[in-house]
Amino acid sequence: MRFFKETNIPFVKFSKTAVTASVIFLAISLISIFLLKGLNYGIDFTGGSLSQVRFDSTATTGEIRQALSSVNLQNSIIQKTSGVNEFLIRAPQIEDMEDIPGEIRRGLETLKNNSFEIRRTEHVGPKIGKELRTAAIWAIVSAIIVIGIYITIRFKFQFAVGAVVALIHDVLFTLGIFSLLQLEISLSTIAAFLTIVGYSLNDTIVLYDRVRENMKKRRLEKIQDIINISINETLSRTIITSLTTFIVVVVLSFAPGEVRIFAIAMIIGVIVGTYSSMNIAGPVVIYWQQNIHAKKK
Amino acid sequence: MFKKTNVRFIIISVAIVLALYSLYWTFAYNTFSDNKIEELRSNGKIEKYEDRIIRVGLDLQGGMHVVLELDLPKLIESIASNKTPQFYSILNATTEEYKKTGDDFFNVFKRQVEDNNFKLVRHFSDRGYKNSEIISSLKDESKDAMRRALEIIRNRIDQFGVSEPTIQKAGQYRIIVELAGIQDPASARNLIQSTALMEFILLKDPEVTQSFIISVDNYLKTGRKDIEKPEISEEDTTVELKESKDKAISVNDLLGMTAVDVGIEQDSSDTALVVDEEIFSERPFSSLLRNVGSRIGIPERNVYAVRKILNDPEIRKLIPYDSKVLWSAKPKRLTMQDGKTENYYLIYHVNRETGLQGKYVTKAQATVGGAGTTSAGQPIVNLNMNNEGAKIFSRLTGANIGKNLAIVLDDKVYMAPTIKVKIPNGASYIEGLESIGEAKNIAIVIRAGALPAPVDVIEERTIGPSLGRDSIQTGIKVGIIGFLLVIVFMFIYYRLSGLLADMALILNIIFVMAILAMLRATLTLPGLAGLILTIGIAVDANVLIFERIREELEKGKTVRAAIESGYARAFITILDANVTTGITALILMQFGTGPVKGFATTLLLGIIASMFTAIFVTRTFYNYITDRKVLRTLSI
Repeated sequence: MRFFKETNIPFVKFSKTAVTASVIFLAISLISIFLLKGLNYGIDFTGGSLSQVRFDSTATTGEIRQALSSVNLQNSIIQKTSGVNEFLIRAPQIEDMEDIPGEIRRGLETLKNNSFEIRRTEHVGPKIGKELRTAAIWAIVSAIIVIGIYITIRFKFQFAVGAVVALIHDVLFTLGIFSLLQLEISLSTIAAFLTIVGYSLNDTIVLYDRVRENMKKRRLEKIQDIINISINETLSRTIITSLTTFIVVVVLSFAPGEVRIFAIAMIIGVIVGTYSSMNIAGPVVIYWQQNIHAKKK
Repeated sequence: MFKKTNVRFIIISVAIVLALYSLYWTFAYNTFSDNKIEELRSNGKIEKYEDRIIRVGLDLQGGMHVVLELDLPKLIESIASNKTPQFYSILNATTEEYKKTGDDFFNVFKRQVEDNNFKLVRHFSDRGYKNSEIISSLKDESKDAMRRALEIIRNRIDQFGVSEPTIQKAGQYRIIVELAGIQDPASARNLIQSTALMEFILLKDPEVTQSFIISVDNYLKTGRKDIEKPEISEEDTTVELKESKDKAISVNDLLGMTAVDVGIEQDSSDTALVVDEEIFSERPFSSLLRNVGSRIGIPERNVYAVRKILNDPEIRKLIPYDSKVLWSAKPKRLTMQDGKTENYYLIYHVNRETGLQGKYVTKAQATVGGAGTTSAGQPIVNLNMNNEGAKIFSRLTGANIGKNLAIVLDDKVYMAPTIKVKIPNGASYIEGLESIGEAKNIAIVIRAGALPAPVDVIEERTIGPSLGRDSIQTGIKVGIIGFLLVIVFMFIYYRLSGLLADMALILNIIFVMAILAMLRATLTLPGLAGLILTIGIAVDANVLIFERIREELEKGKTVRAAIESGYARAFITILDANVTTGITALILMQFGTGPVKGFATTLLLGIIASMFTAIFVTRTFYNYITDRKVLRTLSI
């Protein structure tokens, strides 16, 4: 069986349109992140308290709020989850109330005729939240730098530029979708972002590898032709791998809780990563080669 | 002579045998019944298994993860002597900046001290003369305090009896505690966190307390209007006493209705504060309080308002300098004269100075109060002191007969009995405990000793066992479905070669699990996600190889040559791609707190295993086939 055979799609010709489309979407992402909706940070990053509670019989958010008012936590955000009679209670940061999960339990105990089970609690101090945020940014930035160095050593500097631009593109793109859909950013999401970085890079490296090989074979040809041929030659592999990964992450997105958000991030990432390695990583190298590299000589 | 292919088969077989052996323990352990596990435990053989199985993370089996941080400001405060307001202002500024910026505490402290031109020698004369000397000595002291805290917490948890607890130092002043399968997180948390600072403190005379309460009332009435007036529901005016403005009032009158302890369970569902509006405007503070025996009680609903008033910095100044206000450890269920029941907290106005410190206590034993005592049949903790302690205790009790002595643990009062006679032998006890379980925990923390400084819980996560079970079930289900889909797809697309890739995938998973077992790593939910992602990576390696072989075949190469150059070319690509993904995984491990680390570990192991299975193992099979006969076509 074979999906593609000897394709000759002029990717490089379309790259202007693709770059324009990317720029527009990235602008929308940035506007959404910084001006409009912002990012929906989970308690891992903001600090706060969360309890996942399952009741034996039906309960309403009103009843729960009423019960929580007995411990002065009526300002909590109460959310129904996909589970049966299951709720997430996010309590605001209250400084001198140390044991918020305990207070929530005490409050819920005033609910009559309904017993409950606290399935999960998370309590993150504001300081830890800030530290995790710094660590996450540091992790993404240092991953990009180290990867850039590796590519410079294995390939050429302009390839590293292309790969890094594609990576930043992917992360911003995914962040933009998270901001627009107001999906929660937690520690798992950060893991997903880094996986997207790794995944998109995988595609880019496969392409560059082929470009490197073709540059040796076809010394006299223009860089844009070499890149176009390389994209076409690796197209079959790119599609098959993306497809299998896609199958896996789509199945993963049916798992509960954190894994689900992780899977959603990965679904976006697989699509964006495949797109960017063809339409961003390639054109950047061409641009660099033609404008900056050529001028130096 | 051995052929190359045979050597390769031997290597593969050894790897598989090793992997299966290391997984055998996990497999066997999981088939054991509870009885069998108990039997193995009793004859000491269980460790052989437990040391070798893949451990399941807290998110999959339920449990508790707590991060504690040593309270450095409190530690410094407790070391300092002759504390002045200026000292406190510098310490407070340091604390605030430290909490806000997250810089090193001692750097911030040093900056604050220098900025204010402050001389530390006034408060730490025994630690040197120069500021820098003193700060470095305080730093050493903190490190030492951290070591002791770790030791003490370890002792407490050992006595508490949890299987395989993890207690480790993180950063300079943090401790991570992980307890699997905890049923009651609140009591575990108390056990870990309580400073266990025990003190015996004399209560202030009632007259002093009374004048303090009146001064707060007067202050709120005249000086301050910004203290929130509590919301009052119309029907809830249970307090009936009204006092005229100018009448002199005693504490007992002031506190109005007397409650008696009968302990009837009855719910009062309205949550408004229990005060009368008129009385509130007249006596904003004391109208929130009730008279409970000879003590001051606070209905649970008023606790928030009272705490707020007492924590107000201006009000704190009204508390006599040599005293402080402490709360009871637990609420008491009491019935009012009108038959309504309510939970009451008690407050105690005690000396600032400690009468006797808990460090003299040598023995703490949970038991049940003997017949004829106030705590007959109730859980209590018996305390014994060493000679030095007994001497101080005897002097203290002898000089204060008729007064009340509060027994305080971590700033919470457990009881405050009246001293009737001089107690010469240093024997004492704590009463007012909820259950024998609580008594046992308190005995543990007293025995293990007080922490050198309080520790703050800065992160706490608990997962109930049912949620963990759900996660592991869906995780496995989802994993198997995803895996099967990939396997079927590979077979359809690449035929027999696809089957070879499928075999490599299965081996890949076996190897990753086996290495996890060998490393004694813990499998978490994100770890499972990483494992599933590994499948994707292993598939990619195979796809790269197969696509390359197809290309080479199209160029007209023979099957053998195509396989040869397909592997050679694809290897470079796979290496570059996997190294970059590996870099990401390594950085994740570095940055990693729990969940992210688990993900990164399996991802990294998956990359390594996939290099072996996709490149080495499948190649060996191809070699085996092409060695035996010349293939004209390849099923790919």
